[in-house]
Amino acid sequence: MPRATSDAKLLIQSLGKAYAATPTNLKIIDLYVVFAVATALIQVVYMGIVGSFPFNSFLSGVLSCIGTAVLAVCLRIQVNKDNKEFKDLPPERAFADFVLCNLVLHLVIMNFLG
Amino acid sequence: MAAPRHHHLALAVAVALLVVTAAAADEGGPRGRRVLVLVDDLAVRSSHSAFFASLQGRGLDLDFRLADDPKLSLHRYGQYLYDGLVLFAPSTPRFGGSVDQNSILEFIDAGHDMILAADSSASDLIRGIATECGVDFDESRVYGWCQDPEAMVIDHINYAATDAEGDHTLIAGDDLIQSDVILGSKKIEAPVLFRGIGHAVNPSNSLVLKVLSASPSAYSANPKSKLASPPSLTGSAISLVSVMQARNNARVLISGSLDLFSNRFLKSGVQKAGSKIRHEKAGNEQFVTETSKWVFHERGHLKAVNVKHNKVGETNEPGMYRINDDLEYSVEIYEWSGTSWKPYVADDVQVQFYMMSPYVLKTLSTDKKGVFSTSFKVPDVYGVFQFKVEYQRLGYTGLSLSKQIPVRPYRHNEYERFITSAYPYYAASFSTMGAFFIFSFVYLYHK
Repeated sequence: MPRATSDAKLLIQSLGKAYAATPTNLKIIDLYVVFAVATALIQVVYMGIVGSFPFNSFLSGVLSCIGTAVLAVCLRIQVNKDNKEFKDLPPERAFADFVLCNLVLHLVIMNFLG
Repeated sequence: MAAPRHHHLALAVAVALLVVTAAAADEGGPRGRRVLVLVDDLAVRSSHSAFFASLQGRGLDLDFRLADDPKLSLHRYGQYLYDGLVLFAPSTPRFGGSVDQNSILEFIDAGHDMILAADSSASDLIRGIATECGVDFDESRVYGWCQDPEAMVIDHINYAATDAEGDHTLIAGDDLIQSDVILGSKKIEAPVLFRGIGHAVNPSNSLVLKVLSASPSAYSANPKSKLASPPSLTGSAISLVSVMQARNNARVLISGSLDLFSNRFLKSGVQKAGSKIRHEKAGNEQFVTETSKWVFHERGHLKAVNVKHNKVGETNEPGMYRINDDLEYSVEIYEWSGTSWKPYVADDVQVQFYMMSPYVLKTLSTDKKGVFSTSFKVPDVYGVFQFKVEYQRLGYTGLSLSKQIPVRPYRHNEYERFITSAYPYYAASFSTMGAFFIFSFVYLYHK
């Protein structure tokens, strides 16, 4: 299937080109999200090997990663210039919301970590 | 001056009596000693004197009254005057004084004991009392067309040999209940003589037991008339003597034969028809002595005291347990032997740790000195539990103990901390926090 392979190559190349045009601040957020999701995956694999005890620690570890990723994605949506939905929302305000939510998330996580 | 002196004397006697009663109470038997004996003919007092003498010999205080005595009363000022009742008045149509069927049943409901003996002339009153106790006397005389005046138990195979010429209503019964509690530990070797009316035990009543059953060849009919239809009661379904222990531990013995208790039957020899063995003395004496001991709670009465529970390694009783605690439970059970409380020995007493259903069911081990104990782990469920001992055994009074105890979950600071296998999760949580800090910094200051 040489044709399909070259199609896939073309697709990835065009995706990489399009992504290269993304603003730096969004790239930073993407990197942060990738880190959080990878940490969550590592913990899930670890739980599969070691077992679910202590389950509360596992939950807080994974949920802190997932929560972080979700909040980061929300921030990314709000600060994206191409997104017309939030054009009235200043990016400073979006970042302040993000920080506040993170503080609450980590407070809960610390309590539940055991 | 004579009157006051008498007064003092009476007072002294009364005080002495009080002291004696108090001493008797201190002895601590489960039942009082006052027994009312109702007879329909004072001749019964002498014809059954051996039985009464054995009751009196065991410390029972018998009060003989005619069943139709107009001054008859079971209680006065709300207090029962008697602790037991011997009803040897089979044909009495109604009692005198304030006593009637309901007051007799209330007497039993109040936890008192009764021996009831009927014969073939049993009145509706006596039959009614028996029916309320779960025993139905043969009512064939009631069924109109048959017009049996008096049905009796007849057995053409297991009759007493002295009755060979007669109508085989003198029965030598030896189908006794297998219970050392009711009949005593010594086996009754000789057959028990019985002449009277048979009864059926209500099958829906689990509290009634047949103590002396008729043989499979017995039937209930009028021996004087020709048997026109199949008898309503036949075979070992006929009970000759039954006992009932109510849920309040009141005990009732119902015999279809008043003669069973008579001096004549107690003293006479017995030889079963077709048997070579002649017994010098019928089993009646032993039978009535042992069953009356049981009825008047001189045997088979259990009491449970000193229910204790504690955590393993501690001695005082906590007000609450935590899930997964190890605990010890113990209870002391004694049996009244007629003179003193003796340690009860059994290997089938069980305790339940109960909340809606038993979470733990453990058999208690005994040290043969009356202490039953066990230890177990509180289940991993919190809530309000009970320690329950439900001990119902044939012939023994029922024990029903329950003690409530709450079980709580772990406190917040009782959980394990810093578990090694959880370190990756800790690391992940802190690393996301660190990453958040670095991210904020980079995001705000990047150019």
